[in-house]
Amino acid sequence: MAGNKEKNFASAVVYVKNDAARIGGFLTCLYGILEENFEKYEIICVNDNSSDGSGEAMRAFMRENRPARPLTIVNLSISQGMELAMNAGLDLAIGDFVFEFDRPQMDYPQEMVMESYRTALTGFDIVSVGPRRTPRLASRLFYGVFNRYSKSQYQLGTDVFRLVSRRAIHRVHAVNPTLVYRKAAYAASGLKLRQLFYDDPCGRAAGQERGYRTDLALDSLALYTDAAYKVSLSVSLVFLALTLFSGIYTVVIYFSRAHIEGWTTTMLLLSGGFFGVFLVLTIVVKYLSLLVGLVFRRQKYLVESVEKLQGDEG
Amino acid sequence: MSWDKIIIGAGLYGLYCARFCGLRGERVLVLEADSGAFCRATYINQARVHMGYHYPRSYSTAVKSAGYFRRFLDDYGFCVHTSFDQVYATSAAYSWTNAAEFRRFCAAAGIRCDDVPPSRYFNPGLCDGAFLTEEYTYDAQVLKEYFLKELAALPNVRVQYGAPVTAIEQKATHFELTAGGARYESGFVVNAAYAGVNTILQMLGYEPFGIKYELCEIILCTVSERLRDVGITVMDGPFFSIMPFGKTGLHSLTSVTFTPHSTSYEATPHFACQQKEGALCRGGLLGNCDDCPHKPRSAWDYMSQLARKYLREEYGFAYQRSLFSMKPILKASEIDDSRPTVIRTFSKAPTFVSVLSGKINTVYDMEEVLADGGE
Repeated sequence: MAGNKEKNFASAVVYVKNDAARIGGFLTCLYGILEENFEKYEIICVNDNSSDGSGEAMRAFMRENRPARPLTIVNLSISQGMELAMNAGLDLAIGDFVFEFDRPQMDYPQEMVMESYRTALTGFDIVSVGPRRTPRLASRLFYGVFNRYSKSQYQLGTDVFRLVSRRAIHRVHAVNPTLVYRKAAYAASGLKLRQLFYDDPCGRAAGQERGYRTDLALDSLALYTDAAYKVSLSVSLVFLALTLFSGIYTVVIYFSRAHIEGWTTTMLLLSGGFFGVFLVLTIVVKYLSLLVGLVFRRQKYLVESVEKLQGDEG
Repeated sequence: MSWDKIIIGAGLYGLYCARFCGLRGERVLVLEADSGAFCRATYINQARVHMGYHYPRSYSTAVKSAGYFRRFLDDYGFCVHTSFDQVYATSAAYSWTNAAEFRRFCAAAGIRCDDVPPSRYFNPGLCDGAFLTEEYTYDAQVLKEYFLKELAALPNVRVQYGAPVTAIEQKATHFELTAGGARYESGFVVNAAYAGVNTILQMLGYEPFGIKYELCEIILCTVSERLRDVGITVMDGPFFSIMPFGKTGLHSLTSVTFTPHSTSYEATPHFACQQKEGALCRGGLLGNCDDCPHKPRSAWDYMSQLARKYLREEYGFAYQRSLFSMKPILKASEIDDSRPTVIRTFSKAPTFVSVLSGKINTVYDMEEVLADGGE
């Protein structure tokens, strides 16, 4: 059997946040799949400062099951959300291919894990797996806006896990060391991306977007799309129309009998001045926020400790 | 039969002491458990002649290493491989140090540190700094031949192989040792048994060193042309090092996370493998892990994968073989990463001295205590 196993080294990075109840079951599944298919693999769980004893649940799992390969737990100092946490795991992973599991629950067909790997081998650096139908209205809205304004050739959608090649990881890091939004960075990497879908009739994937808070959504829209630029442009255009209208109105008043001394020139100056100010401000604000995001986020995440739990050395 | 000095362990520290005392005309006996010298830690390690780069969190260790570095080169230059580029790099993620910090540290310690572009050696984004440094590697086999030849010329020095110390008793004027079935006496005993140091101390009821034990693996590799004259160390955290292994033409590959296979936190080493059928550890005495049938499965898969993640493809390397040894680590040195050489005198007249060191070039620290006690 060993001879039939895949020769590539596989890493699995799992985001764990208050998942004490289901992490054991998930690890059982994951170890099963990887052990059956890969000669060499590792599992890294990023514990995003869970308060429900998820860390202890993982240690208990290792004590009781003694899997063939070790488990690495990255304990984050404070809760930092899924994106930063997954970056922490990704930076530690050494595999040729890295599975990113956004939550420790396999409520999709288990075959999807290996199917994504086989798909990657056919020439795709990024394989993303998600339900056929995006469940939540807010998510749909976000992806709708994102895909509308994204410069990437690929459409993003809700996904439950993805497989990324080492080459893709190098590529996105070469472009930008801080991955504010991994999915978008992969899609914009210029490497081939493939989406796999499974049927999710009950909409079980609904709760999975918990890490994508509003500010992350806004950051991502600003960094990976030109939505922000377009919004500021629309605002400027509205102000342009308004000031143009007030300009015409001033001229009409000037020639009419209701002409008031001094008022017209003041109004002309005000309309023109404010137009320019609003235009410049919107642009400046956008670029400032971008610069802050890119330059000042040097310390990417805070790690408290890294534990390596030994499996059965045999 | 009584000796002026008895030294436990024929590693570098043991043989250095034997030669030092032998040249002073003392009658010296070295007791070694294995069938040859330099079979454990002196041979099975990264073979660094430390200049101090390795200790960016412990300035004192760094300065001391740098001081002894020159002297070691003068004395034992014949066993030192110097003609390669030793590159230290700081990892962008998970490192306890960074490029700016490392530069500052080297400047303070007064050691060479020239910036080279990280992209020359590493994949994009993985290292934020890379530095050409002055650090070398020694060849334990060449050094061993030298010491054995030197000692052979001293008729007053004897090295007894296959003689693990199984009992020691303190008498009024001397210590009585049982090793390999024979009894030996001396008024001055030097315990240089490294990983076995606490086992010896326990026999005398002395307070053990506060150490933990790691069963370590070093992998010897054949390397591609591009890597032949390059040594690379990524620091300071869960990273790796691949550098020339003395003058053997091979490189040693180690990693902070995968080199230690298992750890024992007790005063003397306790591992599950010791209980297995045919294990070399017997009666509390540590066997040679490298010869043991129960040495762990190699971590080559992990170490090589980690190194390949960082290194550009042209720096290729392939598995040759693994070496295993037991490494004691002072618990107090975990936080600041210092690796002090600890020499402790437990008793005077009769004198009992223990040494614990993870570095070869601090061997000179022994002279003071040997000269003192000998007066």
